[in-house]
Amino acid sequence: MNKEADFVKLIRANEGILFKITTVYTDNSADQQDLYQDIVYQLWKSFDSFRNESKISTWMYRVAMNTALTQIRSKKRTGHSVSIEKTVLKQTDSYEAQWETRLQLLYKHIHRLNVLEKGLMLLLLEGKKYDEIAEITGLSPSNVGTRISRIKQKLKLQLTKTD
Amino acid sequence: MELEELQATWAQMSTELEHQKIITNEIILQMTQQRYTNKFSKITFYESIGAFICLIMAAYIIVNFASLTTWYLQLSGILSLAFLVILPILVLRALKRIQNLGVKDANYSDMIIRFTKAKKHLLFLQRLGMYLTFLFFLTVMPVFNMILKGNDIFLNYQASLWYIPVVGVFLFFLGRWGYGCYKGITNSAETILKELEG
Repeated sequence: MNKEADFVKLIRANEGILFKITTVYTDNSADQQDLYQDIVYQLWKSFDSFRNESKISTWMYRVAMNTALTQIRSKKRTGHSVSIEKTVLKQTDSYEAQWETRLQLLYKHIHRLNVLEKGLMLLLLEGKKYDEIAEITGLSPSNVGTRISRIKQKLKLQLTKTD
Repeated sequence: MELEELQATWAQMSTELEHQKIITNEIILQMTQQRYTNKFSKITFYESIGAFICLIMAAYIIVNFASLTTWYLQLSGILSLAFLVILPILVLRALKRIQNLGVKDANYSDMIIRFTKAKKHLLFLQRLGMYLTFLFFLTVMPVFNMILKGNDIFLNYQASLWYIPVVGVFLFFLGRWGYGCYKGITNSAETILKELEG
């Protein structure tokens, strides 16, 4: 298989990850699409160097999250509104309106976090272990643990206020 | 809503997304081939146009430097030239730096530090530029008055005197607005840097 075919296969297999990262770091669908495209472009640019690395997910998260970080938003938006179009792509058979509401609430809480917390929260929600989060973020595993427990406290407070 | 519920909601989205493959092979390949313009490229484009105009003005002053006959006009010319050449170069360099931060090599926390520092540096230069514009206005006015009209503004200043307060007021408000934007962005940048480096 040639390089292009390998790359396409990789992106298609990880479409969901890219979608989730882009929704965490943007407020609207136009910015989300811009970021999505930029991430794919950056992944393509560094695809050769990845081939020699062992863990594909670490590489993808690192490039995608770093790219998201360096994107500047066109304007500051207040309220952190999350439009329905950005949370799910289309409604499937298993779609529930209640779930969509919960998802919007989740995004609302994530968007209130600062850029470092956002990244840690994303990886935590993705089910990553502290070691892998440490590898992606460059923090020590114990530091990751401390920061995540702070984020949890912060979220708990936010959630209590929401309830 | 508890944290566990948030995790469950996220997990459900992951499952949903597994069933929603929307981008085609063609779209992926287009994304890899098309170097679309991101926001920093747009800023670089406008800054490059600005730099080009500055360089044309600088070249014009150099060509006509002989008509600046007194030491104070020559000093004004040299200061104007420095402003027209150095500042655009510094801004373009800062923009280049921010666009080449090594997205693929750095880990996330390093990237936050690199990006925040680069952004602060760029914003500092833009702020500096805003204040220097006032000084530039004072130095370039006598230079162009002499080159274009043969008028030594230091000896015959009455005709141009009204320019100074008008431009001064304009630049004061522009500077205040710019400083407000700068302060907001750099304050949040400082916080994140302290948190990561501290």
